[in-house]
This record gives sequence, C-alpha cells and structure tokens, in this order.
Amino acid sequence: MGRRTWWLGVVWLVVLGLVLAACATPTPQVIKETVVVTKEVEKVVTKEIPTLTVIGPWAGAEMDQFTPVLAAAEEKLGIKVRYRIYRAEDLSQVLPPQFAAQQAPGDVIFMWEWWVRENAEHAVDLSDIWASEAEQFMLQPTPVDGKIYNVPYVLWVKPGFWYKKSFFEKNGLEPPTTWDEFIALLDKISAIPGVKKAIITGDGVGWPVGDIVEHFLITFGGPELQEDLIAGKVKFTDPQVRQIFAERLVPLLGTYFSDPVEWTQAIDLWWNEEYGLYFMGNWLTGMVEDPDDLGVFTLPGARGVVGGTDWAFVPKYSENVDAAKALIAFMISKEGMEIRVKQGGKLASRKDVSPNAYPPADRALAEALAQIENPAVPDLDDAVGGDWQRYFWDQMKLLWVKPDQLDTVLENLDARFPTQ
Amino acid sequence: MARMMQRRRIWHHPRVRDGLAFIMFTGPALVLIVLFIILPAVQTIVLSFTDDTGAFVGLRYFREVLANPDTWNIRRFPPGIPPWGSLVHNAVWILVHLPLSVALGLILAVVLDKAWGATVLKSIIFLGMVTPMIIGGVIIRFLFDENAGIITAILRGIGLEALGRTWTAYPETALVALILGSVWLWVGFSMILYSAGLATIPREYYEAAAVDGAGPLQQFWHITIPALRPVTLVIVAMTILWELKIFDIVYTATLGGPGGATMVLALQMYFYAFRALQFNHAAAVATLLSLFTFIVGLWFTRTMRT
Amino acid sequence: MTRRLGIHLIAWAIGLIWLIPFVGIVMSSLRPQRELIHGWWNLSPFTLSLDNFIEAWNHPSAPLGQGIRNSLIVVIPATIVPLFIGAMAAYGFLRFRVPFSNTLFLIIVLLMSIPQQMVAVPLFRFMRDVGLLDTYTGLVLVHSAWALPWVILFLRNYLSTLPPEIEEAASLDGANRFQIFTRIVLPLSVPGLASAMALQLTWAWNDFFMALILLFDPDKLVATQRIPLLRGQYQVDWGVLTAASLLTMSVPILVFALLQRYYIRGLVGWTLK
Repeated sequence: MGRRTWWLGVVWLVVLGLVLAACATPTPQVIKETVVVTKEVEKVVTKEIPTLTVIGPWAGAEMDQFTPVLAAAEEKLGIKVRYRIYRAEDLSQVLPPQFAAQQAPGDVIFMWEWWVRENAEHAVDLSDIWASEAEQFMLQPTPVDGKIYNVPYVLWVKPGFWYKKSFFEKNGLEPPTTWDEFIALLDKISAIPGVKKAIITGDGVGWPVGDIVEHFLITFGGPELQEDLIAGKVKFTDPQVRQIFAERLVPLLGTYFSDPVEWTQAIDLWWNEEYGLYFMGNWLTGMVEDPDDLGVFTLPGARGVVGGTDWAFVPKYSENVDAAKALIAFMISKEGMEIRVKQGGKLASRKDVSPNAYPPADRALAEALAQIENPAVPDLDDAVGGDWQRYFWDQMKLLWVKPDQLDTVLENLDARFPTQ
Repeated sequence: MARMMQRRRIWHHPRVRDGLAFIMFTGPALVLIVLFIILPAVQTIVLSFTDDTGAFVGLRYFREVLANPDTWNIRRFPPGIPPWGSLVHNAVWILVHLPLSVALGLILAVVLDKAWGATVLKSIIFLGMVTPMIIGGVIIRFLFDENAGIITAILRGIGLEALGRTWTAYPETALVALILGSVWLWVGFSMILYSAGLATIPREYYEAAAVDGAGPLQQFWHITIPALRPVTLVIVAMTILWELKIFDIVYTATLGGPGGATMVLALQMYFYAFRALQFNHAAAVATLLSLFTFIVGLWFTRTMRT
Repeated sequence: MTRRLGIHLIAWAIGLIWLIPFVGIVMSSLRPQRELIHGWWNLSPFTLSLDNFIEAWNHPSAPLGQGIRNSLIVVIPATIVPLFIGAMAAYGFLRFRVPFSNTLFLIIVLLMSIPQQMVAVPLFRFMRDVGLLDTYTGLVLVHSAWALPWVILFLRNYLSTLPPEIEEAASLDGANRFQIFTRIVLPLSVPGLASAMALQLTWAWNDFFMALILLFDPDKLVATQRIPLLRGQYQVDWGVLTAASLLTMSVPILVFALLQRYYIRGLVGWTLK
C-alpha cells in the first residue's frame, strides 16, 4: 500500500466503528443498563425540582400572553417549566416516531383534539383531574372508552363579521338586524367609491373560508344542525343544508365576497377600507392598529357562534406524569385561567371567570357573547378532524370560485365523511 | 511455499484484484446507504403490504389508493379543468417542467459563462435553490396574487384582465402557477451541473473546429451538446425524481387545492400518514412513487450503457 | 463586438427577470406590510428598517444566530463526508468491472425516489438504538447517506467524461489505484466536485424534515427548524419570517459565489496538464 492511502484507512475505521456501534447496542442488557443509569441520575436531580416541557403553538405576542401562566405555575407548584413552540402540523410529524420509540418531546402538549383521541394509547388518562372541573366548562372533551385524554384550555370564538366603526360612521352604515338589512348593507358598502367588494374573504390553508360557511349553517340551521353534521346524523346533501348553501351563501359569492386573499394580507386591505367587512376569529383584536375602532356583528338571527379551544394532553412517556397533571390542573383552574385571560387575546372556557378578569376589549366581547344563546358551538372541521378537515377547507375554497359546482362539492363532502 | 505462491497468484488475478478494489472503493458508501436508507425503506415497503396486525394483505392498500379520485380522475382530463388526480398532475408537472428546466439550464449555463459578472448572475439563478421551503411556496403564491402579485399586475397591464386574478385560488390556473414557479426554483440545479459539464470540454476542441470553419452554432451542436450528454442524463433523472417527489411548494402555496386541483403524490402520502393516520396507505403511495422511479431508473441505466 | 455586448445584455436581462420574485421577499423584510399590499413596486410611502433582521437574529424563543451556527456544524461534515465517500464509490463503479455492479448501481439510483417522510419511524428507532438520536453526528450520517445516491450518480457520469488515457499513463508509471484516484482523478474532477458540493451543501442546509425528526434539544435546532418557530398558530409576522429566510439563505449563497472560482480553476487545471 502506498503512503497516500492512509485516508482510506481512516474512512474504513469510521465506518467500521459505526457498524460496531450499530451491532453492539441493540443487545438488550446494554440498553437496559444505560436507561437505568440515566433515569437514576435524572431522578436525583429532579426529585427536588422537576423540569417540565410544555409544547404549545403560540409564538410572538401569543406566547408572551401565555408565559405568565407558566411563571405562576412554577411558583405555586414548585416546578420548573420550559416552553417550546411546535404547531400541530409539525407535531403531527414529530410525535409518531417518538411515540413508536416510547419517547415524548414534552410533558404537556397542545395538539389537535381528534389526533389525541386517535392516539389515546399514548396518552395519560386525565379523567381524575377533569372530573372535578367538568361542570364549570362550556366545552366538553369527547371521551375514548369512557376516559378523558385531553382537556380544553382557553377559548377563541369566531363571532361574526368585523367592521371598522369609523368606516361605518363615515358612510352612515349600521350593523344589520335582519337578513334584508344585511343584504342592503352589502349593497351600500359595494356602492362606496374605492370599495372593491363588500366582504373580503380570508384564505390560509382554507380555514377562514370554512369558518364563514359554518356561521351560515349555524345561523340558518341552528347550533343543533352543526352538532348533527359533526355527529354525521345529517348529510351535506340533506335538503335543509343544501338550501342554506343555495339560497343564503351561494348568491353572495362573487357578488359580495372577494376571492380568497391570504388572510393576514386581507387584514391590511380591509383596514385600508377597500373592503367593508371581514369574517375572522377574535384573535383579530390583537392584529389591527386600533382595536377600539373594531365592531362586530353576527348574521341576523344567529343563536350561536363557533367557539373553540386548544386542547392539552400528557403523553404516557413523560418522566413527570404527576407533575404534568398538576400543571394542567393549574392551567385549567379558575386561578390559572384568570391569569391567562388577563393578558388578553383569549376568553375563558370556564363559566365561573368574572368579566372583570379581562382587559377592556376582551371584556366587551365576553359581554356581547353572554347575550348569545350558545357562544361555544363546536367547530365543525376541528371536531371531525383528520383528513376530512383539510378536505372540507379545500372544497369550500373551490366553492368560492366555482359556486356552480355546489352539488358536486356537497356530494364530495358526504362521500369523504369519516364513517363511525 | 507452493501454496503461498498460489495464493499470491489468486491475489493478483485481475478479476480478484478488481473485486477487492471495488469493495474498498464502494464499501463505505454502501454501508452508510444500507444502514440509513435501505433498512428503514424495506420496513416501509413491508408496511404497504401488511395490516396493523402484521398480516399480509397483498395489494389491498394499492387498490384503495388507486381507486381514490384524488389519485386518478382521468375522466376530467382535458378539456375538463383540474382536479385530474395526483398521478396525472405529477405527469403534467414532468411534461412541462422537465423540458423547460433542462433547456433553460443549458441556455443559462452557456450564456452566463460568457457574460460580465457571471458569478453574480449565477448566484442570482441559484437563489431559487437556497430558498427555504416555507418561503418558496409563499413566493409563488404572492407572485400570482391579485393584489400584490407582479405577474398578475403585468398581465392586467397588457389587457389580460381574465388572468389578473389570484392564480392559486382558481382550479384552472393553480397547477400552472405552481409549475412555472417550480421552474424558477429549480433551474439553478441544471445550470450548475451544466456549468460543471462545460468545464470538462477541452478548449482545443473548439479551437480545432474553428480552424475547420465551424460557426458558433455548429460548434454548440456538434461539440457542446454531445459532450454534455452524460450530464444531461443526470439532470433529467434528478429532475424527474424531484418532480415526482414535489411537496414543499404545494404544501405552502395551495395545500393541494382548490378542490384538489394541485394534489400531487407526495402530498397525498403526507395526508394519508399525518392527517388520516393511515400509515399503510401512505406506505403504498411511497412504494408506488418508488415504482415510477424504478421505470426512470431502468430507462436511465439503459441509456447510459449505450 | 456588438454581438458580445448583446450577450452581456441578454445575460443581465435574464438575471434581472430571475431576481424579480425575490425582490418581494427583500422588500417584505425591510418594509412594513401595509406598504406592500398592492405590490412592492409601489414606492410611496417608503419606509426602511432593519428591525426584522435584528429581531430574527436574537429571537427569544428561536434565535437564528445560534441556529446558523448549528447548521454550519452539521452541514460542513455533511458535505465533505458524502462527497469524499461518494467520489470513491463513483470511481469504483466506473473503473472496476465486477459482476452485478450495474445492478447495484441501479438499486442505488432507485433509492433516490424514497420520500424521507416514509422512513421516519424506522429511522428514528434505529437512531435511538445506536444512541445517535438528538446528536449532530447522527444527523450528519443521515444527511451523508441520503446524499450518496445522487453524488455517486452525478460523479460517476462526470468521471466518465474524463479520458481514461491519463489514468492508464499513470498506471504504467507504477502508481497504484489509490494514488491514481487521489493524485489524478480527484484534481481532474474539481469542477464536478465543486458543483456537487454547492448542491449538497444547499440541500443539507435547507433540510427541514430530517432535522425536525432527529434533533429536538432547543439549543441544538438548526436554522431551518427555527423559521417555522417564528410563526405561531395565528400570528404570522411576514417581516420577521422573510428576514429570517434571507439570513438563512445568505450562507449557501455566499458559499456558492465563492465556490464558482473552483469551476474555473478546474477548467484551468485541465488546459494546463
């Protein structure tokens, strides 16, 4: 061998070492030993102050509103908490391999409710901490085999069409009280110079469009219709449902609704008074220049609006199951929830939180919602979940630009609806 | 002593020597590939033929995937507008994107090589390749946006009002917008490989041709193109693979919509696995994807031998 | 002379057209979103600010500065290792006639089709078993393995364009296989290696999925993993997001601009020999 071949030896050594590592470690004893050792070390350290990892979807301002809750929990429960951001889309890829290897990236994880129900075998039974709180909550988790695996946190609502008060005053407009007034309002807005369309349609991956549809269904079919659709008791091709689409929604598409516009961009266009109304959830209050200029109305006659929440669960593979359960119990307690809603942007999902706990803008909304018979109708696509959720969004986006395909769209929604 | 001699002779036999050298040279690569790609991939393929209990179910998942109109909706193929199904969308993607990428990449490599500031220009073309995935789709989406898009603004400016709306919102135009955008992102790849290929062509060839009186076009046709054939093969193979696996752009720009008009195989696999939680179906799509590449691969090795 | 000028003009025109989609991103990172709703080319009002870049770099939950450092730690070995091992393998496949080597090569080419999402679960288990989970070494090895098929494919074809006569001459001079490889083949493949390096560096740098699955210690996250962390469930700050993307892109662009010298050097090396 020539002197220049030394590198070949190096490459081989590296690869050989790797192979040896790969062959050697799977022998059970070695694994057990290492596991035991690390666990003991961690126990010694964590006995006094367990460190919990909380995974949630909130970044930026939303995160700043959430972290005070964790700070309060650290003080009260004598634990340490670190917060990490993962949105549900990312978690849906991170969790399956971790669970398959009996690991978890966090102790308390906020994740889609339907997803946790599907993966209940990897989650800790939270029935005991939920039982004492259940009756205080507006939203109830769906049990799996009689057990509760995720619990609701704070509420967001999709209260209706938002408008700029200053824009309405300037143009002599009033929130409508009947359907005819609503149509007349849309006509008046459309006639204002500089206005492109009366309503701007938001578009993310599709959920803003879905939210509008749900609002129409709840207004004209009642919250019961929404619940029946979720349960699969009523089909989308049902005459009642089709009628709401065909007579109430479809005639407005194209005429009054804009094409879907990326929803954060839509905020600026709408605030710029190129469009009159915008349908969005209450997190909008934190995203406009002047929240005091915001007004909102439901479609006339709506007996309910969609209210949803972020759901938390504890994976079985957490090293600190008890501390994690204590942390969740604190977060959903009256005390924990008041700390959160005080920061703004979210509402309490508990009935026993007083309006005084809110900052002014949220208090107004909370009081307005108190007038509505059902301020927390479950979100249609969140509740059904799975692949159907994004399919529903996608079909609604299609309907928006191709209203003539209504019947195909409704048939597709039925055909894809999960059986069970 | 005689045995030693014999052994030595075996050692020095050309075929054995070649075999040993082959193992020494390819061994490290093969070990890494087996451990980190083949072993996990085999488990995936197994998954596509077995159910949750591990029982063999034959082609059940493949039949179910192919029966899904998301995969195969050929009745709507032209003159109907998309959705045509992910298989057809991927095929359309290849038909439009491949010739554009190869031709543009070659033109850019040749033209930019001779221009002032070639380094800067090539870096500009290369921008598409370094764009992080969550931004690539967003760029395409906003290029074709009714309010903020420069392409729609230009189209409106030249009187094409009908094309002045958001392309990704309409099933007629969404797929085209994504394919055009993906050309922008990918051309840097073919340009780089062609640049490297151009560097292998000795100057003397051109000088000799020039002496023989060949013009630049003839030189390009008779020297550059044949010399670039091996590189072209790699570019074609890699580009087809990229087109088959296309995912990120669609995920961020349209999520396969509207109405499934931009659904592609890789996205469908993602939805099966992480939305519907049907990992076996996802594995079946992945295996199908590999099957198509098998065809590309067969064609590729055939052409390479000739 | 006018034709020369024509080529420069055409080249720059193409360059500018190619740059257009990208200008939107730069504008979005420098100007408030409200100014861009009708397109970045509307220049009044025009407010410039670097705040988004500063915020992305020092972000409280996902500081990009740390992410870029981590990315470098991963990407440099994840480029060198597969290039070197891949060049060896490409040479092996090209020069040594061994039974079934073509079949083996075909299999390797086919491996490029496997979508990464599909190996996530088995790969994760394997990495845990060998103790490489949540380590840079593990990610480097995975990136290397996944790069090898195309590196081998590309370099094998690239090497096939080099005339074998030079190697034969060296072999007559008494050099062995490895000396031929290191002293003659590698220097001759500099343009090809530089191209492969530019691409592999880019792909390893841009990888999101493998890092997402295999690295989870908050301090170890690479740059691309941090970009999605800058956006939450509802809040999308396009300014910070685009600024973070630009910072992330700057490294591979810089490397690419520098690497181009080596294409030229390869060309010169050829003519000098």
